[in-house]
Amino acid sequence: MPERYDAVVIGGGHNGLVTAAYLAKAGKKVLVLERRHVLGGAAVSEEIVPGYRFSVFSYVVSLLRPEIIRELELPKYGLEILPLDGTITPLDDDYLWRVNDHGRTVRELRRWSLNDAEAYEEYGPLMAEMARFIKPILSIVPPDPGKVSVRDWLPLTPLAKTFKDLPRRLQTTFIQLMTMSAADFLDQWFETEPLKATMSASGIIGTFQGPRSPGTAYVLLHHYMGEIDGAFRAWGVPRGGTGTISEAIGSAALANGAEIRLEAPVARIDVHGDRATGVTLETGEQIEAGIVLSSLDSRWTFIKLLEDGVLDPAFKEEVLRYKYRGSSGKVNLALDGLPELACKPGTGEWLRGAISFSPSLDYMEQAYDDAKYGHPSRRPYIDMIIPTLLDPTMAPPGGHVMSCFVQYAPYRLAGNAVWDDAAREAFGQTVIETIEERMPTIREHIVGSQFITPKDIEDITGLTEGNIFQGELSLEQLFFNRPVPGWSRYRTPIRDLWMCGSATHPGGGIMGAPGRIAALEVLKGRKRARRVA
Amino acid sequence: MGARSDVVVIGAGHNGLVAAASLAKDGRRVTVLERSPEVGGILRGAEIAPGFTAPGIAHTVGRLRRSVVEDLELADHGLDLLTPAVRLFAPQPDGSAVTFWGDVGRTAEELRQRNPRDADAFVSFDRKVRAVASFLAYINVATPPDISAPTIADAISGLKVGWAFRGLGAKIGREAIRAMPMAVADLVQEVFEDEAIRGPLSTRGVVFTAFGPWSAGTAAMFLNDSAGNDGGAAGTAVFARGGTQALAAALASAASVAGAEIRTGAEVTGIRSRNRRVLGVTLADGTEIDAGLVVSAADPKRTLALCDPVELGPTMIWRAGNIRQPGATAKVDLALSGLPAFHEDPQRLRGRIVIGPSTDYVEKASDANKYGHLAEEPWIEATIPSLMDPSLAPEGRHVMSALVQAAPRDLREGDWASERERLGDVTVKTLERFAPGLGELVEARRVITPEDLETDYGLTGGHVQHAEPGLDQFFAWRPLNGEARYRFVLDGLYLAGSGAHPGGGVTGGPGANAARQIRKDTGRR
Repeated sequence: MPERYDAVVIGGGHNGLVTAAYLAKAGKKVLVLERRHVLGGAAVSEEIVPGYRFSVFSYVVSLLRPEIIRELELPKYGLEILPLDGTITPLDDDYLWRVNDHGRTVRELRRWSLNDAEAYEEYGPLMAEMARFIKPILSIVPPDPGKVSVRDWLPLTPLAKTFKDLPRRLQTTFIQLMTMSAADFLDQWFETEPLKATMSASGIIGTFQGPRSPGTAYVLLHHYMGEIDGAFRAWGVPRGGTGTISEAIGSAALANGAEIRLEAPVARIDVHGDRATGVTLETGEQIEAGIVLSSLDSRWTFIKLLEDGVLDPAFKEEVLRYKYRGSSGKVNLALDGLPELACKPGTGEWLRGAISFSPSLDYMEQAYDDAKYGHPSRRPYIDMIIPTLLDPTMAPPGGHVMSCFVQYAPYRLAGNAVWDDAAREAFGQTVIETIEERMPTIREHIVGSQFITPKDIEDITGLTEGNIFQGELSLEQLFFNRPVPGWSRYRTPIRDLWMCGSATHPGGGIMGAPGRIAALEVLKGRKRARRVA
Repeated sequence: MGARSDVVVIGAGHNGLVAAASLAKDGRRVTVLERSPEVGGILRGAEIAPGFTAPGIAHTVGRLRRSVVEDLELADHGLDLLTPAVRLFAPQPDGSAVTFWGDVGRTAEELRQRNPRDADAFVSFDRKVRAVASFLAYINVATPPDISAPTIADAISGLKVGWAFRGLGAKIGREAIRAMPMAVADLVQEVFEDEAIRGPLSTRGVVFTAFGPWSAGTAAMFLNDSAGNDGGAAGTAVFARGGTQALAAALASAASVAGAEIRTGAEVTGIRSRNRRVLGVTLADGTEIDAGLVVSAADPKRTLALCDPVELGPTMIWRAGNIRQPGATAKVDLALSGLPAFHEDPQRLRGRIVIGPSTDYVEKASDANKYGHLAEEPWIEATIPSLMDPSLAPEGRHVMSALVQAAPRDLREGDWASERERLGDVTVKTLERFAPGLGELVEARRVITPEDLETDYGLTGGHVQHAEPGLDQFFAWRPLNGEARYRFVLDGLYLAGSGAHPGGGVTGGPGANAARQIRKDTGRR
């Protein structure tokens, strides 16, 4: 006689764990099933090189919702976020260095352009205003545009009102952010190439788009919505790596009575009639549950875990045409010392923030053009972090960990080439060469390395095509079209099967919002059901 | 002592003439002022060699709004539309070709030989495109709402649109909302397996823009290209007997007969106003014409450049400066001693001939824009109007019109004066790869660079659509949020050109919508 749970959550990533924690907190009997030996999905810390702990995939945090940190008391369970100070963009014989100290940044910008320094004073507050305006969307359950339901659309009316009453200037900015390319948007404001290029980067991270692709301005805003301790656009690294976020949420879930099983890969979601009744593990073990929540992307959930014939063909087609297109890779380096920038020698505070390889918009766009036709960028955009400067515990004394987010690395390669070991090695070497141009001594310091291609991301974490957002953040795949048009409300065509991962609104990043909203929807739905009964 | 008129229309392009004609019909005194010696704007044709008449920048007129043709009785004014059986012919590098006919069944039948799955997909795709386009046609006749202050009328028209939307049914409705912001390359890739089908269709989403088919929002342009006409998936191919200038002539005749005065060679150099109220215009020769209403069919930037900067104010000048008009289209007209050998069956060459064998080909051509140089292998939409109307070329000879992308207005190296001939050569070379021997047939050619479009046609940035039709310059925010209701910046100033909703293309839509708005605002005479 197998055990019975109120809810089974498939996937122990941060969203799955958030969902589990909230359901457990509401008194439900919850079980989380994680395929791997570690919790966290794409938010994991692992010791790949002896003595060096890498934030293997996701490496910075900003979007994690404050209400989640508060409601789940994550600090109590060991979550500590160390703020990153600023971003330096190394160039051939100069650099652009922006820090959280606004005054200093503006002084630095004056070196480049008085206009830009002036525009920057307006730009920051404007974006913060925009982010504040759009933030409520992050906690709304999207309506279905296909049908007119007052209850579904109601949550949007205050928003529509706010929008209507926004000053024309802000309205226009909002429209532009939703429709423009990051480059076009920034061109209106700034003229300094490295500034525009580095700012545009947050518009393309994790997407298969270039800075000149319409729609990327939105992603710009998406990254502006992050806040740490109420400070907008503040980025940080968790002490102990991003894995500690998952562990903290996991501990919160356990403390609330949830169960978590590692190395428990789910083979199938059991469906009887039109409702999900539980899951079957690859070991053949069956687990019954009142509801099943999947924190996996829709491709994995509906195509891999459901038996053929369960799904309506039209729905299945929608699932299959949903775009993933992983575009990024990761290079993690273990170093025996701190490398220096050729353009700014020394090992000062500028290394404590992000180091952005984004000298010009053309550089970024060319990197995209390579990928567009199926080749890893010959000179990729790199977002580099050296977390050990903030948290020395990640490496042996004197040693350092260097985390390089690399774009572009297309999941699908030109011709019929595949991501084999040779391709992976070539990818890693290209990245190191690119770094070497700005950090000539880098190779001398490398004692260990880890090259991660989109294929590796898919194989290790299960993210389809290695898309870190569980689905391309293109305009037609946002809001009421996530994860499948018409099914944006965390429910699925199969009763008692729910979605709760980044695949759902409001999407990716270590945000936790999808997991939280899904849990609240489940609890609401339950209440309603009981009222009916 | 200046002359006086009720309405001054700046520019005698198709939108200017449509607005002039319908306002004159109301009994208003209308004066149309055209800078160049002839009317027509981008419909203006030219004799590029003795007996060879090339069409305007636009070489087909299939998108012309039906209500415009009827209200202005253009048939009575000599408009004779010629519609070939074929819509689009797309040759492939391997010598094969895909033909899209007006008859969907016939198209599917031929596609079946290439790819049975795509053949079936085409039929349902054509149906879907028509459904969504019919909904867009609704939006295109509406005056966009003012987001800040929606009026009752807006609410009502909004409701109408809502009903039209619901009429689509939940499935198509969702599909419309999903498709609009998509990249046209994705739209066709979802439906078809064969690049030979994807490529040519994708060009409809990027023609006359600086976008490539992988740019988000190009699907909306693709769908809009079929709104209010019989385009469907393949688009229209409709010619005017006597060339595109015959349409211009018909519109001009309609306007004149209705009582409008059309002055050519009359360049407006200033729009006079006091306290943000329009007083009239000043011409290059210094003469002034007083008018309470000035309707500009010129592009938004050019229109605002005619206004007194003090009246506009710094904010508006900054916003106007940010209107995106990145011209990327060039035109090459060829006088040919015979029919080019695209295909042994000349029937197939009577519509649009598109050199865009794959989405990657079209995207690569568009990449050139981003780095400011002419595409070495441009994508081309060509027509041979003399096949439908032999009077356009001497016996047995032909005139060919080729739209060429990408040719960015601003070149990083060199200028168009020095690149002009290379543009012509690149175009002929590219066409020749698909029609061997075409080079030898060329008796004369006319090259129109994006710079010519700016200087000769007055199109700022050389942008034929007046403002890039991206999602950021669309509907209620075309050309600017708050200035999309045809009333434009100053009291009594109206924007009636392609820079206003519903945008570019030979539809007459902006002109007709603007005229209707003027009637609403000033009352019918």
